[in-house]
Amino acid sequence: MPFTIITGGSYTSTGASQVIPLPSSADMFETWNFTQIGGSGTVCIGGKWFGPKFGLGQSAYNDGIRYRIAGSNAVLEDKFSTATASNGFIYLTALPMVEAQATNAITAITAANPAVVSQTNTYSNGDILRIYNTTGMLQIAGMDFEISSVSGSGYTLLGLPATASNGFAAAATAGNTRRVGNTLLSPLAVNPEMMYVTNISNATQAVVSTSVDPSLYYSVGMEIRLSVPPSSFGMNQMNGLTGTILAVNAVMAAGNIGAYNVTLNINSSAFNAFAWPASTASPTAPLFATFAPAGASTQYNPVTNTFTGYDFNLQPFRTANFTPCMIIGGGAASAGGANLDQINWVAYKFEA
Amino acid sequence: MSTGITNINNMAPELPLQFSEDLLSTPMFNLIHSFGADLHYAEAHIGRNIRMSRYERLSTNGGQLDGSGIDPAPEVVVRTDIDAKVEIYAKTVVVNEQVVLWENDKVLTKFTALLGQWLREKEDLLMRDLYASSVSYINATGGVNGLQPSEISRADVNNIERILLGNDARTMLEVIEAEDKFSTGPTRDAFIALASTDITTDLQNVQGVLLKNTYPDQDGLRPEEYCSISRFRFFVSSKAAFIPGAASNGSTVYTIPMYGLEAAAKVEQNNYTAILGYRPPYVVSSVAQNSQLYAKFAIGRAITNQNWISGLNVTTRL
Repeated sequence: MPFTIITGGSYTSTGASQVIPLPSSADMFETWNFTQIGGSGTVCIGGKWFGPKFGLGQSAYNDGIRYRIAGSNAVLEDKFSTATASNGFIYLTALPMVEAQATNAITAITAANPAVVSQTNTYSNGDILRIYNTTGMLQIAGMDFEISSVSGSGYTLLGLPATASNGFAAAATAGNTRRVGNTLLSPLAVNPEMMYVTNISNATQAVVSTSVDPSLYYSVGMEIRLSVPPSSFGMNQMNGLTGTILAVNAVMAAGNIGAYNVTLNINSSAFNAFAWPASTASPTAPLFATFAPAGASTQYNPVTNTFTGYDFNLQPFRTANFTPCMIIGGGAASAGGANLDQINWVAYKFEA
Repeated sequence: MSTGITNINNMAPELPLQFSEDLLSTPMFNLIHSFGADLHYAEAHIGRNIRMSRYERLSTNGGQLDGSGIDPAPEVVVRTDIDAKVEIYAKTVVVNEQVVLWENDKVLTKFTALLGQWLREKEDLLMRDLYASSVSYINATGGVNGLQPSEISRADVNNIERILLGNDARTMLEVIEAEDKFSTGPTRDAFIALASTDITTDLQNVQGVLLKNTYPDQDGLRPEEYCSISRFRFFVSSKAAFIPGAASNGSTVYTIPMYGLEAAAKVEQNNYTAILGYRPPYVVSSVAQNSQLYAKFAIGRAITNQNWISGLNVTTRL
């Protein structure tokens, strides 16, 4: 059955994953790493993804055929999934992307800042997970978290300061996860999207911690409206307030402040302290603390000659991700290559 | 029994089947996500981002003149800008001449109708995604299914009414006055609530629910309307938003946006609201065998006032 090239191109890798919007659905996709071809390192020099029309079915999530150099002019073929730290292809036709429940359950989530999760997994840094069934830490059951410092046995939730003074009395002893996005794929279909709040500081400029890196969706100058169910999270004065973002991720994680945060022009110094309800209070406590986009008030600073509230890359309501698209995993052992590698890519479609 | 009978076994009908006079209905889901949004228009040739602006009200603190002749301090007016990006969506069907020639139906006409249906359905889903993504929802806790969130309850609905009224939101639907009819009751002026058909059994069990058939007057009601609870009238769709795995035990959560006037906006690009087109065979195909139908529209969407929209996350019980 003949193929048609529907689109193709090239880019210089940053070592991170790359999203390729496709003008129509694809049946096959391949990459070639022109920097590494002919080299001697045991690196990936190309990859191939197959669509659902092939008899064996579509390549698995973050997988595909990998071509790699095995020294002295030999090329080996295997799957991206056969190696750790190896990312293949993710083909997406609609958002949100919600995977099935992970095979292995969470065995522990520490009550610490940041919280550390023990779970045998194949996740990658920047993945966004929906965590639930969190025995001992029911307050967070159903929330989405961005993960980092991923190893095969666990990862870190930089956005969850699960300290005792933030309402977390004990570690979680169980839980389940689904992957719902990553730094390139929004877990929700429209941006800017609502975000889960994990802490709010008492300060002249309140620092609001979030479970996912807010810099993916929000910028300085944008306004947000906070929803803090008053009977659950202590800081009832913050509920329903609208504030302007003064900084994103500018405050270092310490105490109850997580690594992911926005600084607001709201003086919360005299507010009640923010604290999560006890795990035992779930499921009767109204959850969750969240904020949502509320526009922007454009400001001009004549000293620095800068405008705020004009970030058209983040600000307008818009579709989060163009679909269909192909996500090419980054990294030396991955389809997208290492930093500065030259990558060619081609998308094919059956003619009939 | 005599033999030599001419029957259906030795003389079958010349044609094995006949074509029914009417086509069967094409399934179509309830379109509930657009009619409550404010309609705005974007002009051509001035960019794809449209800005909707609102002046915030002035503070009511102070203001009394003390007779000294000193003017009160002026207040700086604050303007809030809401931006929306206009996006274009399209669908096309390419038809070979042999289908047009030999199909029993007038396929070009029927396919055009299908494209028209796609156009409105796609628009509805895009507005649904806006509500599902960019609004703060509160988990229902008044139910008894033991999950976080629980199924919907009267207390949860009342809580959202309190939030909207506390933020000075205005109702969108008018009163349906009482009439002297058995088993009917009036509905108050109401906000809109949009829900999945998966929770209709739970809606029926909410305290004080007024099912649509018990409204005193049925004139002008939309077919998608299901019931009235407190200050909300519920409209349901099989394509309403849900979040897989977001309940405390990993079951599905249904989001119910609940809002009043001017909470959300739908932006239409002038002359791009709904374009249906036909490309004849001599344009599409080098041997003039394939023709093409297409539908295209442009849309922008935005939550224009977060204070006037809220909603519930719920699970199911029944």
